[in-house]
Amino acid sequence: MSSDTSRAIGLAIRLDGIGVRFSPSTEELGVLHELTLEIAPGSFVALIGPNGCGKSTLLLVIAGLLQPASGSVLVGDRRPSPGDARVGLAFQQPRLMPWRSILDNVSMPLEIAGVPAAERRGRAGIALERVGLASAAALRPGQLSGGMAQRAALARALVLDPPVLLLDEPFSALDALTRETFNAELERLWLDRRCTIVLVTHSVSEAVALADRVVVMSPRPGRVVRSVEVGIGRPRTPELLGGPNAADRASEVREALAAARPLELRPWAEGVTA
Amino acid sequence: MKRLATAALSLAVFLLIWKAAVVIGGYPDYILPAPEAVLERGLRAIASGVLWEHTAATLAEVVLGFVVGASVAVAVGTALGKSVFIERALSPYIVAAQAVPILALAPLLDIWFGGGLLARVAICALIVFFPIAIATMVGIRSADPLLAEMLRSLGATTAQRTRLLEIPSALPVIFGGLRVGVTLAVIGAVVAEWAGARTGLGVLVLIANQGLFDTALMFVALATLATIGLVFYGLVVFVERRVVPQ
Repeated sequence: MSSDTSRAIGLAIRLDGIGVRFSPSTEELGVLHELTLEIAPGSFVALIGPNGCGKSTLLLVIAGLLQPASGSVLVGDRRPSPGDARVGLAFQQPRLMPWRSILDNVSMPLEIAGVPAAERRGRAGIALERVGLASAAALRPGQLSGGMAQRAALARALVLDPPVLLLDEPFSALDALTRETFNAELERLWLDRRCTIVLVTHSVSEAVALADRVVVMSPRPGRVVRSVEVGIGRPRTPELLGGPNAADRASEVREALAAARPLELRPWAEGVTA
Repeated sequence: MKRLATAALSLAVFLLIWKAAVVIGGYPDYILPAPEAVLERGLRAIASGVLWEHTAATLAEVVLGFVVGASVAVAVGTALGKSVFIERALSPYIVAAQAVPILALAPLLDIWFGGGLLARVAICALIVFFPIAIATMVGIRSADPLLAEMLRSLGATTAQRTRLLEIPSALPVIFGGLRVGVTLAVIGAVVAEWAGARTGLGVLVLIANQGLFDTALMFVALATLATIGLVFYGLVVFVERRVVPQ
Protein backbone atom coordinates (compact mmCIF):
# COMPACT_ATOMS: atom_id res chain seq x y z
CA MET A 1 0.00 0.00 0.00
CA SER A 2 1.29 3.40 -0.94
CA SER A 3 0.17 5.37 2.07
CA ASP A 4 1.63 8.82 2.45
CA THR A 5 0.87 9.92 6.00
CA SER A 6 1.51 13.60 5.28
CA ARG A 7 -1.54 13.61 3.06
CA ALA A 8 -3.70 11.70 5.52
CA ILE A 9 -6.41 14.08 6.68
CA GLY A 10 -9.01 11.48 7.67
CA LEU A 11 -10.73 11.30 11.04
CA ALA A 12 -11.80 8.18 12.87
CA ILE A 13 -15.51 7.40 13.12
CA ARG A 14 -16.82 5.61 16.19
CA LEU A 15 -20.38 4.32 16.37
CA ASP A 16 -21.39 2.63 19.60
CA GLY A 17 -24.74 0.92 20.18
CA ILE A 18 -26.60 3.12 17.70
CA GLY A 19 -30.38 2.79 17.64
CA VAL A 20 -32.65 4.76 15.29
CA ARG A 21 -36.41 4.39 15.12
CA PHE A 22 -38.85 6.46 13.11
CA SER A 23 -41.93 5.49 15.12
CA PRO A 24 -42.00 5.89 18.90
CA SER A 25 -43.52 2.42 19.40
CA THR A 26 -41.27 0.29 21.58
CA GLU A 27 -42.41 -2.94 19.95
CA GLU A 28 -40.87 -2.07 16.64
CA LEU A 29 -37.12 -2.50 16.65
CA GLY A 30 -36.53 0.49 14.39
CA VAL A 31 -34.23 1.17 11.48
CA LEU A 32 -30.93 0.61 13.23
CA HIS A 33 -30.50 -1.47 16.36
CA GLU A 34 -27.45 -1.71 18.59
CA LEU A 35 -25.13 -0.91 15.72
CA THR A 36 -21.47 -0.73 16.63
CA LEU A 37 -18.75 0.11 14.13
CA GLU A 38 -15.30 1.62 14.24
CA ILE A 39 -13.75 3.14 11.16
CA ALA A 40 -10.03 3.90 11.15
CA PRO A 41 -8.89 7.39 10.15
CA GLY A 42 -8.15 7.67 6.45
CA SER A 43 -9.63 4.30 5.59
CA PHE A 44 -12.08 3.47 2.85
CA VAL A 45 -15.09 1.50 4.07
CA ALA A 46 -17.97 0.20 1.98
CA LEU A 47 -21.38 -0.41 3.59
CA ILE A 48 -23.44 -3.06 1.88
CA GLY A 49 -26.76 -4.60 2.75
CA PRO A 50 -30.29 -5.25 1.50
CA ASN A 51 -32.67 -2.40 0.65
CA GLY A 52 -34.07 -0.65 3.68
CA CYS A 53 -31.43 -1.93 6.07
CA GLY A 54 -30.62 1.60 7.17
CA LYS A 55 -27.37 2.23 5.27
CA SER A 56 -28.40 5.70 4.23
CA THR A 57 -29.80 6.37 7.70
CA LEU A 58 -26.42 5.46 9.13
CA LEU A 59 -24.77 8.04 6.87
CA LEU A 60 -27.19 10.68 8.15
CA VAL A 61 -26.22 9.74 11.71
CA ILE A 62 -22.50 10.07 10.92
CA ALA A 63 -23.18 13.41 9.20
CA GLY A 64 -24.91 14.66 12.36
CA LEU A 65 -28.18 15.19 10.47
CA LEU A 66 -30.06 12.56 12.47
CA GLN A 67 -29.87 12.14 16.23
CA PRO A 68 -29.90 8.45 17.16
CA ALA A 69 -32.39 7.42 19.83
CA SER A 70 -29.63 5.56 21.62
CA GLY A 71 -25.87 5.08 21.42
CA SER A 72 -23.07 7.50 20.69
CA VAL A 73 -21.40 8.81 17.53
CA LEU A 74 -17.97 10.33 17.36
CA VAL A 75 -16.27 11.84 14.33
CA GLY A 76 -12.70 12.44 15.45
CA ASP A 77 -13.14 13.40 19.08
CA ARG A 78 -16.44 15.26 18.76
CA ARG A 79 -20.06 14.45 18.11
CA PRO A 80 -21.04 15.53 14.58
CA SER A 81 -23.54 18.39 14.32
CA PRO A 82 -25.92 19.23 11.43
CA GLY A 83 -23.90 20.88 8.67
CA ASP A 84 -20.63 19.69 10.20
CA ALA A 85 -17.84 21.06 8.01
CA ARG A 86 -15.72 18.00 8.82
CA VAL A 87 -18.12 15.80 6.87
CA GLY A 88 -18.80 15.95 3.12
CA LEU A 89 -21.90 14.20 1.84
CA ALA A 90 -22.75 13.14 -1.72
CA PHE A 91 -26.18 11.76 -2.46
CA GLN A 92 -27.56 9.22 -4.87
CA GLN A 93 -28.94 12.09 -7.01
CA PRO A 94 -26.59 14.96 -7.90
CA ARG A 95 -28.92 17.53 -6.25
CA LEU A 96 -27.52 20.48 -8.14
CA MET A 97 -29.40 23.77 -8.34
CA PRO A 98 -30.55 24.01 -11.97
CA TRP A 99 -30.37 27.83 -12.04
CA ARG A 100 -26.73 28.01 -10.95
CA SER A 101 -23.64 27.34 -13.02
CA ILE A 102 -21.58 24.29 -12.11
CA LEU A 103 -18.94 26.53 -10.54
CA ASP A 104 -21.58 28.29 -8.43
CA ASN A 105 -23.05 24.96 -7.39
CA VAL A 106 -19.68 23.68 -6.29
CA SER A 107 -18.88 26.87 -4.41
CA MET A 108 -22.14 26.79 -2.47
CA PRO A 109 -20.73 25.06 0.65
CA LEU A 110 -18.15 27.88 0.79
CA GLU A 111 -20.88 30.48 0.37
CA ILE A 112 -22.86 28.97 3.24
CA ALA A 113 -19.73 28.84 5.38
CA GLY A 114 -19.19 32.56 4.75
CA VAL A 115 -16.03 32.33 2.64
CA PRO A 116 -15.43 35.59 0.71
CA ALA A 117 -16.52 35.53 -2.94
CA ALA A 118 -13.03 36.06 -4.36
CA GLU A 119 -11.69 33.00 -2.53
CA ARG A 120 -14.74 30.87 -3.41
CA ARG A 121 -14.10 30.90 -7.14
CA GLY A 122 -10.52 29.69 -6.78
CA ARG A 123 -11.36 26.90 -4.36
CA ALA A 124 -14.37 25.73 -6.37
CA GLY A 125 -12.20 25.72 -9.48
CA ILE A 126 -9.66 23.48 -7.75
CA ALA A 127 -12.41 21.07 -6.65
CA LEU A 128 -13.70 20.93 -10.23
CA GLU A 129 -10.20 20.18 -11.49
CA ARG A 130 -9.89 17.33 -9.03
CA VAL A 131 -12.94 15.62 -10.55
CA GLY A 132 -11.90 16.50 -14.12
CA LEU A 133 -14.70 18.96 -14.72
CA ALA A 134 -12.81 22.25 -14.99
CA SER A 135 -14.00 22.81 -18.56
CA ALA A 136 -17.66 22.59 -17.50
CA ALA A 137 -17.45 25.32 -14.84
CA ALA A 138 -19.68 27.76 -16.72
CA LEU A 139 -22.33 25.23 -17.76
CA ARG A 140 -25.71 24.71 -16.12
CA PRO A 141 -26.62 21.32 -14.60
CA GLY A 142 -29.19 20.77 -17.37
CA GLN A 143 -26.37 20.78 -19.90
CA LEU A 144 -24.47 17.94 -18.20
CA SER A 145 -24.76 14.19 -18.64
CA GLY A 146 -25.69 12.15 -15.57
CA GLY A 147 -22.08 11.20 -15.01
CA MET A 148 -20.83 14.77 -15.24
CA ALA A 149 -23.56 15.92 -12.84
CA GLN A 150 -22.42 13.31 -10.31
CA ARG A 151 -18.85 14.51 -10.69
CA ALA A 152 -20.03 18.04 -9.98
CA ALA A 153 -21.84 16.78 -6.86
CA LEU A 154 -18.64 15.05 -5.78
CA ALA A 155 -16.69 18.27 -6.32
CA ARG A 156 -19.22 20.06 -4.12
CA ALA A 157 -18.71 17.47 -1.37
CA LEU A 158 -14.93 17.88 -1.69
CA VAL A 159 -14.76 21.66 -1.86
CA LEU A 160 -14.38 22.14 1.89
CA ASP A 161 -11.72 19.40 1.88
CA PRO A 162 -13.56 17.42 4.56
CA PRO A 163 -11.70 14.81 6.62
CA VAL A 164 -14.72 12.52 6.25
CA LEU A 165 -16.50 11.85 2.96
CA LEU A 166 -19.83 10.04 2.96
CA LEU A 167 -21.03 8.68 -0.37
CA ASP A 168 -24.60 7.42 -0.65
CA GLU A 169 -24.60 5.30 -3.81
CA PRO A 170 -23.37 8.25 -5.84
CA PHE A 171 -22.80 6.20 -8.98
CA SER A 172 -25.84 3.95 -8.86
CA ALA A 173 -27.68 5.80 -11.63
CA LEU A 174 -24.74 5.58 -14.03
CA ASP A 175 -24.15 2.94 -16.67
CA ALA A 176 -21.67 0.16 -15.94
CA LEU A 177 -18.83 1.53 -18.08
CA THR A 178 -19.03 5.01 -16.60
CA ARG A 179 -19.13 3.48 -13.13
CA GLU A 180 -15.88 1.64 -13.64
CA THR A 181 -14.14 4.82 -14.71
CA PHE A 182 -15.63 6.56 -11.70
CA ASN A 183 -14.44 3.93 -9.30
CA ALA A 184 -10.88 4.26 -10.56
CA GLU A 185 -11.06 8.04 -10.30
CA LEU A 186 -12.50 7.92 -6.83
CA GLU A 187 -9.64 5.70 -5.72
CA ARG A 188 -7.13 8.11 -7.28
CA LEU A 189 -8.75 11.06 -5.47
CA TRP A 190 -8.61 9.21 -2.20
CA LEU A 191 -5.00 8.04 -2.65
CA ASP A 192 -4.13 11.65 -3.35
CA ARG A 193 -5.70 12.90 -0.16
CA ARG A 194 -6.56 10.36 2.49
CA CYS A 195 -9.87 11.37 3.96
CA THR A 196 -12.02 8.73 5.61
CA ILE A 197 -14.57 7.48 3.07
CA VAL A 198 -17.78 5.63 3.87
CA LEU A 199 -19.41 4.42 0.67
CA VAL A 200 -22.92 2.98 0.63
CA THR A 201 -23.38 0.59 -2.27
CA HIS A 202 -25.56 -2.23 -3.54
CA SER A 203 -22.80 -3.67 -5.63
CA VAL A 204 -20.53 -6.37 -4.19
CA SER A 205 -17.93 -5.92 -6.93
CA GLU A 206 -17.88 -2.15 -6.44
CA ALA A 207 -17.44 -2.59 -2.69
CA VAL A 208 -14.56 -5.03 -3.14
CA ALA A 209 -12.96 -2.93 -5.87
CA LEU A 210 -12.85 0.22 -3.77
CA ALA A 211 -12.85 -0.48 -0.05
CA ASP A 212 -10.24 -1.46 2.50
CA ARG A 213 -13.04 -3.09 4.40
CA VAL A 214 -16.55 -4.14 3.41
CA VAL A 215 -19.12 -3.92 6.21
CA VAL A 216 -22.15 -6.16 5.66
CA MET A 217 -25.39 -5.08 7.30
CA SER A 218 -28.45 -7.16 8.21
CA PRO A 219 -31.99 -6.39 7.01
CA ARG A 220 -33.98 -3.97 9.15
CA PRO A 221 -33.26 -3.34 11.94
CA GLY A 222 -29.77 -2.84 10.58
CA ARG A 223 -26.76 -4.15 12.43
CA VAL A 224 -23.25 -5.08 11.35
CA VAL A 225 -23.18 -8.82 10.63
CA ARG A 226 -19.77 -9.15 9.05
CA SER A 227 -16.73 -7.10 8.30
CA VAL A 228 -14.55 -8.29 5.43
CA GLU A 229 -10.97 -6.99 5.12
CA VAL A 230 -10.28 -6.75 1.40
CA GLY A 231 -6.48 -6.65 1.58
CA ILE A 232 -5.73 -6.04 -2.10
CA GLY A 233 -2.95 -3.62 -3.01
CA ARG A 234 -3.45 -0.15 -4.41
CA PRO A 235 -4.01 1.22 -6.88
CA ARG A 236 -6.44 -1.53 -7.72
CA THR A 237 -5.66 -2.30 -11.33
CA PRO A 238 -8.01 -4.39 -13.47
CA GLU A 239 -5.44 -7.22 -13.14
CA LEU A 240 -5.59 -7.14 -9.34
CA LEU A 241 -9.39 -6.95 -9.38
CA GLY A 242 -9.57 -9.87 -11.82
CA GLY A 243 -7.38 -12.00 -9.58
CA PRO A 244 -8.39 -14.79 -7.19
CA ASN A 245 -8.05 -12.58 -4.12
CA ALA A 246 -10.80 -10.25 -5.27
CA ALA A 247 -13.05 -13.15 -6.24
CA ASP A 248 -12.60 -14.74 -2.80
CA ARG A 249 -13.44 -11.52 -0.98
CA ALA A 250 -16.50 -11.00 -3.18
CA SER A 251 -17.85 -14.47 -2.42
CA GLU A 252 -17.19 -13.91 1.27
CA VAL A 253 -19.33 -10.76 1.12
CA ARG A 254 -22.06 -12.57 -0.84
CA GLU A 255 -22.18 -15.37 1.69
CA ALA A 256 -22.54 -12.90 4.53
CA LEU A 257 -25.34 -11.14 2.64
CA ALA A 258 -27.11 -14.42 1.96
CA ALA A 259 -26.81 -15.54 5.58
CA ALA A 260 -28.24 -12.27 6.84
CA ARG A 261 -31.21 -12.34 4.49
CA PRO A 262 -34.57 -13.11 6.07
CA LEU A 263 -35.94 -16.52 5.11
CA GLU A 264 -38.86 -15.30 3.05
CA LEU A 265 -36.52 -13.44 0.73
CA ARG A 266 -34.06 -16.21 0.05
CA PRO A 267 -35.64 -17.93 -2.97
CA TRP A 268 -35.75 -14.62 -4.80
CA ALA A 269 -32.18 -13.72 -4.55
CA GLU A 270 -29.96 -16.76 -4.91
CA GLY A 271 -26.85 -15.46 -6.57
CA VAL A 272 -26.78 -11.76 -5.75
CA THR A 273 -25.91 -9.73 -8.77
CA ALA A 274 -22.88 -7.55 -8.62
CA MET B 1 -38.69 41.23 -37.34
CA LYS B 2 -41.10 38.43 -38.09
CA ARG B 3 -42.82 38.97 -34.76
CA LEU B 4 -43.22 42.66 -35.57
CA ALA B 5 -44.71 41.84 -38.97
CA THR B 6 -47.21 39.46 -37.36
CA ALA B 7 -48.23 42.14 -34.86
CA ALA B 8 -48.64 44.73 -37.62
CA LEU B 9 -50.71 42.36 -39.74
CA SER B 10 -52.92 41.44 -36.81
CA LEU B 11 -53.47 45.15 -36.02
CA ALA B 12 -54.35 45.85 -39.65
CA VAL B 13 -56.91 43.03 -39.69
CA PHE B 14 -58.37 44.28 -36.39
CA LEU B 15 -58.77 47.83 -37.76
CA LEU B 16 -60.30 46.50 -40.99
CA ILE B 17 -62.92 44.48 -39.12
CA TRP B 18 -63.66 47.53 -36.97
CA LYS B 19 -64.09 49.75 -40.02
CA ALA B 20 -66.21 47.13 -41.75
CA ALA B 21 -68.47 46.90 -38.70
CA VAL B 22 -68.97 50.68 -38.76
CA VAL B 23 -69.70 50.77 -42.48
CA ILE B 24 -71.87 47.66 -42.73
CA GLY B 25 -73.67 48.27 -39.44
CA GLY B 26 -74.09 51.95 -40.19
CA TYR B 27 -73.56 52.90 -36.56
CA PRO B 28 -73.55 56.54 -35.56
CA ASP B 29 -70.39 58.04 -34.04
CA TYR B 30 -71.72 58.08 -30.49
CA ILE B 31 -72.14 54.27 -30.54
CA LEU B 32 -69.15 53.12 -32.58
CA PRO B 33 -66.86 55.73 -34.07
CA ALA B 34 -64.70 54.68 -37.04
CA PRO B 35 -61.01 53.99 -36.39
CA GLU B 36 -59.88 57.07 -38.31
CA ALA B 37 -62.27 59.23 -36.24
CA VAL B 38 -60.72 57.86 -33.04
CA LEU B 39 -57.23 58.48 -34.40
CA GLU B 40 -58.13 62.03 -35.33
CA ARG B 41 -59.66 62.61 -31.86
CA GLY B 42 -56.54 61.14 -30.27
CA LEU B 43 -54.23 63.48 -32.17
CA ARG B 44 -56.31 66.42 -31.06
CA ALA B 45 -56.21 65.23 -27.44
CA ILE B 46 -52.44 64.89 -27.66
CA ALA B 47 -52.06 68.35 -29.23
CA SER B 48 -54.14 70.01 -26.53
CA GLY B 49 -52.18 68.24 -23.77
CA VAL B 50 -55.37 66.74 -22.29
CA LEU B 51 -54.38 63.16 -23.00
CA TRP B 52 -50.94 63.49 -21.45
CA GLU B 53 -52.30 65.12 -18.30
CA HIS B 54 -54.64 62.18 -17.64
CA THR B 55 -52.16 59.55 -18.78
CA ALA B 56 -49.45 60.88 -16.45
CA ALA B 57 -51.79 60.64 -13.46
CA THR B 58 -52.77 57.06 -14.29
CA LEU B 59 -49.17 56.03 -14.99
CA ALA B 60 -48.09 57.27 -11.56
CA GLU B 61 -50.86 55.24 -9.89
CA VAL B 62 -50.12 52.11 -11.90
CA VAL B 63 -46.37 52.21 -11.29
CA LEU B 64 -46.54 53.07 -7.58
CA GLY B 65 -49.49 50.73 -6.93
CA PHE B 66 -47.80 47.84 -8.69
CA VAL B 67 -44.43 48.36 -7.00
CA VAL B 68 -45.95 48.73 -3.53
CA GLY B 69 -48.47 45.91 -4.00
CA ALA B 70 -45.94 43.51 -5.53
CA SER B 71 -43.27 44.19 -2.89
CA VAL B 72 -45.65 43.60 0.01
CA ALA B 73 -47.11 40.56 -1.78
CA VAL B 74 -43.72 38.90 -2.28
CA ALA B 75 -42.80 39.49 1.37
CA VAL B 76 -46.16 38.25 2.71
CA GLY B 77 -46.26 35.37 0.21
CA THR B 78 -42.81 34.25 1.36
CA ALA B 79 -43.98 34.25 4.98
CA LEU B 80 -47.16 32.35 4.00
CA GLY B 81 -45.13 29.80 2.08
CA LYS B 82 -42.64 29.21 4.85
CA SER B 83 -45.01 28.96 7.78
CA VAL B 84 -48.22 26.94 7.85
CA PHE B 85 -49.09 28.80 11.06
CA ILE B 86 -48.89 32.19 9.34
CA GLU B 87 -50.87 30.86 6.41
CA ARG B 88 -53.65 29.58 8.68
CA ALA B 89 -53.72 32.83 10.62
CA LEU B 90 -53.65 35.24 7.66
CA SER B 91 -55.13 33.54 4.63
CA PRO B 92 -58.82 33.93 5.69
CA TYR B 93 -58.37 37.71 5.80
CA ILE B 94 -56.45 37.80 2.55
CA VAL B 95 -59.06 35.72 0.75
CA ALA B 96 -61.90 37.72 2.30
CA ALA B 97 -60.30 41.01 1.22
CA GLN B 98 -59.99 39.61 -2.29
CA ALA B 99 -63.57 38.32 -2.32
CA VAL B 100 -65.04 41.75 -1.48
CA PRO B 101 -65.35 43.57 -4.82
CA ILE B 102 -62.70 46.24 -5.09
CA LEU B 103 -65.37 48.56 -6.52
CA ALA B 104 -67.22 48.38 -3.20
CA LEU B 105 -64.06 48.81 -1.17
CA ALA B 106 -62.56 51.68 -3.15
CA PRO B 107 -64.70 54.54 -1.72
CA LEU B 108 -63.86 53.39 1.81
CA LEU B 109 -60.13 53.27 1.10
CA ASP B 110 -60.43 56.65 -0.56
CA ILE B 111 -61.73 58.10 2.72
CA TRP B 112 -59.17 56.25 4.86
CA PHE B 113 -56.19 57.34 2.83
CA GLY B 114 -57.24 60.92 2.43
CA GLY B 115 -58.49 60.87 -1.14
CA GLY B 116 -55.19 61.82 -2.80
CA LEU B 117 -52.60 59.89 -4.79
CA LEU B 118 -51.89 57.82 -1.68
CA ALA B 119 -55.47 56.51 -1.63
CA ARG B 120 -55.34 55.57 -5.31
CA VAL B 121 -52.00 53.83 -4.87
CA ALA B 122 -53.44 51.88 -1.92
CA ILE B 123 -56.46 50.72 -3.94
CA CYS B 124 -54.23 49.75 -6.84
CA ALA B 125 -51.79 47.92 -4.53
CA LEU B 126 -54.62 46.00 -2.89
CA ILE B 127 -55.89 44.56 -6.18
CA VAL B 128 -52.33 43.75 -7.29
CA PHE B 129 -51.50 42.04 -3.99
CA PHE B 130 -53.56 38.85 -4.15
CA PRO B 131 -52.33 37.01 -7.27
CA ILE B 132 -48.71 37.84 -6.49
CA ALA B 133 -48.94 36.80 -2.83
CA ILE B 134 -50.59 33.49 -3.74
CA ALA B 135 -48.09 32.84 -6.54
CA THR B 136 -45.20 33.54 -4.17
CA MET B 137 -46.61 31.20 -1.53
CA VAL B 138 -47.07 28.39 -4.05
CA GLY B 139 -43.65 29.08 -5.54
CA ILE B 140 -41.86 29.01 -2.19
CA ARG B 141 -43.47 25.65 -1.45
CA SER B 142 -42.40 24.25 -4.81
CA ALA B 143 -38.76 24.11 -3.66
CA ASP B 144 -37.30 20.63 -4.14
CA PRO B 145 -37.12 18.83 -0.74
CA LEU B 146 -34.01 16.96 -1.90
CA LEU B 147 -32.24 20.28 -2.44
CA ALA B 148 -33.49 21.43 0.96
CA GLU B 149 -31.95 18.33 2.56
CA MET B 150 -28.71 18.98 0.69
CA LEU B 151 -28.62 22.53 2.06
CA ARG B 152 -29.31 21.24 5.56
CA SER B 153 -26.34 18.89 5.21
CA LEU B 154 -24.25 21.97 4.44
CA GLY B 155 -25.47 23.70 7.59
CA ALA B 156 -27.50 26.39 5.80
CA THR B 157 -29.54 28.69 8.04
CA THR B 158 -33.23 29.36 7.40
CA ALA B 159 -32.33 32.70 5.81
CA GLN B 160 -29.77 31.02 3.56
CA ARG B 161 -32.28 28.38 2.55
CA THR B 162 -34.75 31.11 1.58
CA ARG B 163 -32.18 33.04 -0.41
CA LEU B 164 -30.36 30.15 -2.06
CA LEU B 165 -33.22 27.75 -2.68
CA GLU B 166 -36.75 28.95 -2.05
CA ILE B 167 -36.69 32.34 -3.79
CA PRO B 168 -34.93 31.03 -6.93
CA SER B 169 -37.34 28.06 -7.07
CA ALA B 170 -40.28 30.43 -6.66
CA LEU B 171 -39.20 32.97 -9.28
CA PRO B 172 -40.93 31.41 -12.32
CA VAL B 173 -44.19 31.14 -10.37
CA ILE B 174 -43.81 34.64 -8.88
CA PHE B 175 -43.42 36.04 -12.38
CA GLY B 176 -46.66 34.32 -13.36
CA GLY B 177 -48.28 36.29 -10.54
CA LEU B 178 -46.53 39.51 -11.59
CA ARG B 179 -47.89 39.17 -15.14
CA VAL B 180 -51.44 38.92 -13.82
CA GLY B 181 -50.77 41.60 -11.21
CA VAL B 182 -49.48 44.21 -13.63
CA THR B 183 -52.62 44.07 -15.77
CA LEU B 184 -54.74 44.29 -12.62
CA ALA B 185 -52.80 47.41 -11.65
CA VAL B 186 -54.37 49.22 -14.62
CA ILE B 187 -57.85 48.13 -13.51
CA GLY B 188 -57.00 49.19 -9.95
CA ALA B 189 -55.97 52.65 -11.11
CA VAL B 190 -59.23 53.18 -13.00
CA VAL B 191 -61.35 51.93 -10.10
CA ALA B 192 -59.41 54.20 -7.73
CA GLU B 193 -59.98 57.18 -10.01
CA TRP B 194 -63.70 56.46 -10.13
CA ALA B 195 -63.76 56.53 -6.34
CA GLY B 196 -62.72 60.15 -6.41
CA ALA B 197 -60.15 61.83 -8.62
CA ARG B 198 -60.02 64.78 -10.96
CA THR B 199 -57.40 63.48 -13.37
CA GLY B 200 -56.55 60.08 -14.82
CA LEU B 201 -57.66 58.02 -17.80
CA GLY B 202 -60.53 56.57 -15.75
CA VAL B 203 -61.74 60.11 -15.16
CA LEU B 204 -61.32 60.89 -18.85
CA VAL B 205 -63.54 57.90 -19.71
CA LEU B 206 -66.25 59.26 -17.40
CA ILE B 207 -65.96 62.81 -18.76
CA ALA B 208 -66.07 61.62 -22.37
CA ASN B 209 -68.92 59.21 -21.80
CA GLN B 210 -71.20 61.04 -19.39
CA GLY B 211 -70.17 64.66 -19.75
CA LEU B 212 -69.29 65.29 -23.36
CA PHE B 213 -70.98 62.33 -25.08
CA ASP B 214 -67.66 62.16 -26.97
CA THR B 215 -67.43 58.44 -27.68
CA ALA B 216 -64.33 58.87 -29.83
CA LEU B 217 -62.50 60.46 -26.87
CA MET B 218 -63.64 57.58 -24.68
CA PHE B 219 -62.13 55.17 -27.20
CA VAL B 220 -58.90 57.19 -27.06
CA ALA B 221 -58.82 56.80 -23.28
CA LEU B 222 -59.56 53.07 -23.48
CA ALA B 223 -56.90 52.54 -26.14
CA THR B 224 -54.38 54.38 -23.95
CA LEU B 225 -55.28 52.19 -20.96
CA ALA B 226 -54.86 49.08 -23.10
CA THR B 227 -51.49 50.34 -24.30
CA ILE B 228 -50.32 50.96 -20.73
CA GLY B 229 -51.34 47.39 -19.83
CA LEU B 230 -49.52 45.96 -22.87
CA VAL B 231 -46.34 47.96 -22.26
CA PHE B 232 -46.11 47.04 -18.58
CA TYR B 233 -46.91 43.41 -19.29
CA GLY B 234 -44.13 43.45 -21.86
CA LEU B 235 -41.78 44.99 -19.32
CA VAL B 236 -42.52 42.23 -16.80
CA VAL B 237 -41.88 39.58 -19.46
CA PHE B 238 -38.67 41.39 -20.43
CA VAL B 239 -37.41 41.36 -16.83
CA GLU B 240 -38.55 37.76 -16.41
CA ARG B 241 -36.44 36.64 -19.38
CA ARG B 242 -33.39 38.19 -17.74
CA VAL B 243 -34.02 37.10 -14.15
CA VAL B 244 -35.48 33.61 -14.53
CA PRO B 245 -33.05 31.10 -16.03
CA GLN B 246 -33.87 28.83 -19.02
